[in-house]
Amino acid sequence: MVADVVGAEAAVPAEAVTRPRIRVQGAVKSFSGRVVVDVDDLVLGDRPIQGLIGPNGAGKTTLMRMIMHSTSLDRGRIALLLASGGEVALSALPPNRMAGHGVVKSNQVIMDFDKLTIWDSLLLAVAEARYEQPHRIASERTVFDRHEGQIREYLEYFGFADPAAFAMSAGEKKLLDIVRCLLLRPTFLLLDEPTAGLPEELTEKVMAVVRDLAAGGTSVVIVEHDLNVIWSLCDEVLFMAEGSVILRGDPQAIRENRTVVEKYLGEGHV
Amino acid sequence: MNIDWLDAFLISGLFQVAMVTGLALLLHLQLGLARIANFGVVGFWGIGMYVFGVLYVKVDWPFGDPWQFLASAAIATFVAGVAGLLIGWLISDLNTDGVLVGTLGFATAVQILATTEDDFTGGALGMGGLDFPFDIGRVKDNEFLWLVIMVAVVAAILLYVWRVHRSPYGRLLIAVGGNEPLVRSLGKSTFRAKLWLFVVGSAGMGLLGAMNGVMVHYLDVGNVGVGVTLAAMVGLVLGGTARVWGGVVGVILTVGLFDIVVQSYLPLPEEWYSQAIPVLREAAFGLTLMLVLLFRPLGLLGDMRRDKLMGRIHGR
Ligand SMILES: Nc1ncnc2c1ncn2[C@@H]1O[C@H](COP(=O)(O)OP(=O)(O)OP(=O)(O)O)[C@@H](O)[C@H]1O
Ligand SMILES: [Mg+2]
Repeated sequence: MVADVVGAEAAVPAEAVTRPRIRVQGAVKSFSGRVVVDVDDLVLGDRPIQGLIGPNGAGKTTLMRMIMHSTSLDRGRIALLLASGGEVALSALPPNRMAGHGVVKSNQVIMDFDKLTIWDSLLLAVAEARYEQPHRIASERTVFDRHEGQIREYLEYFGFADPAAFAMSAGEKKLLDIVRCLLLRPTFLLLDEPTAGLPEELTEKVMAVVRDLAAGGTSVVIVEHDLNVIWSLCDEVLFMAEGSVILRGDPQAIRENRTVVEKYLGEGHV
Repeated sequence: MNIDWLDAFLISGLFQVAMVTGLALLLHLQLGLARIANFGVVGFWGIGMYVFGVLYVKVDWPFGDPWQFLASAAIATFVAGVAGLLIGWLISDLNTDGVLVGTLGFATAVQILATTEDDFTGGALGMGGLDFPFDIGRVKDNEFLWLVIMVAVVAAILLYVWRVHRSPYGRLLIAVGGNEPLVRSLGKSTFRAKLWLFVVGSAGMGLLGAMNGVMVHYLDVGNVGVGVTLAAMVGLVLGGTARVWGGVVGVILTVGLFDIVVQSYLPLPEEWYSQAIPVLREAAFGLTLMLVLLFRPLGLLGDMRRDKLMGRIHGR
């Protein structure tokens, strides 16, 4: 099914800045016989910040994981449409090739390295492959000096209590995951519930970073259940249910749409 | 230098300790950092030893020692590294069970090959003709010098491992051991990291095997058994898989205690040495392994402390 478009101006790309986009075609994924994602034709990245919302189990995370190829596709094709005009078939690449093309995703479920400190984790994210070879056993200083400033900036901005220690709380791990993503300098950033479990103040900071990033030309797709984040951040909202994006439009239009209200927001929300 | 206080037993005991320590250190990078349980240590070690032996004895080299030794050992090291590449490639996508079966199967295959390819290896009869690449006098002097060289090689491996902990490569290995999908999402090829880990580790194990061949003079398929893997594994687990010094401490306490103290200084009946002692040794190591895993699973030295290490090298 092709998503209905609500709200007039959404049909025409509003900006001159060309951004990398991702095109999902005929992508299907089922788990034990149950179709979880079935996207016919979907282009992401037309607008700087797009929100992806929908009820629990709608397939939002699975779709993002399919884009990253960390979940395999039953069939279909996913391609990155570069700002320069070229095209990269993401669905034919292994997951470790995504970051090299600027496609990066944060995780809904906490992912961390329990033996690495916060500093370690961030140095890992930034370290170039050539310094990570078995004979480059004296390159720690180089990597540290190259990236120290940038890492410190993020550490201070988000106010990590003790970056020389291990990430302790769920919130800290979640934030660490986001900072790792930011350090990869994404051109297409997928955020899967980035602010879930974060205190108000940090949610604001994450949102501010996302805005900056988008202003700089990065395409952002964000999944959130905290709809205040969605309404205030997004240029366009996509509504997903039962595996497909069934509706897309500007936040105001989605917020007032009857289907969305019935299936997700509940009566009396607006 | 007067080395009269050293008897042949002690020299060979110390040689064993040093060599197994080297194996345990290389295994530490695989098991302790990348969490890959390589049960094929003896396979790589055996390949090094046999390839070296065959090259050294059967090839008509245009030059003598020490070049004959160096050339044979270099090729043996290289071949062991290639074996590591193949095995690393084979197991890179397997889970823990698959890795166990794969590496164990590889070690068994090496032993079977050493037995059946008797044109090259002498098969079950064994193969002689290996000797020190130098002659400085008495047998004992030669053996002592070889022990010193082995200790130097193992010290170099220790230094390498110590540096790996302080390098981006070591961090990558720890990350691979912790959460492979997350490493891949950061744009890193865990496949390549594991391949290189196996190439370097296996080559090192092969070199140690070749050097062992020189020490024992006689290659016997009975020596290419699981006991070698067990000794390295038990030593490492006892000391602490995740620590640089784990292998050193653990091997001294296991192989050192058994091969030196028990065998040389306990009044054991003469007839035990060929039959009972190897069995006793494996039983003792197996028991140690069980006790450590039960009561101190992280080993004597405990877990890795990246927070302290990072604090030391980069400050707070
Ligand atoms: N690895 C898996 N194995 C089996 N079923 C899965 C797997 N991953 C997801 N599912 C199922 O697929 C459906 C979609 O899950 P998904 O996580 O994509 O939903 P979501 O839209 O992200 O939901 P939420 O808002 O709760 O995060 C769910 O019913 C889930 O149980
Ligand atoms: Mg989800």
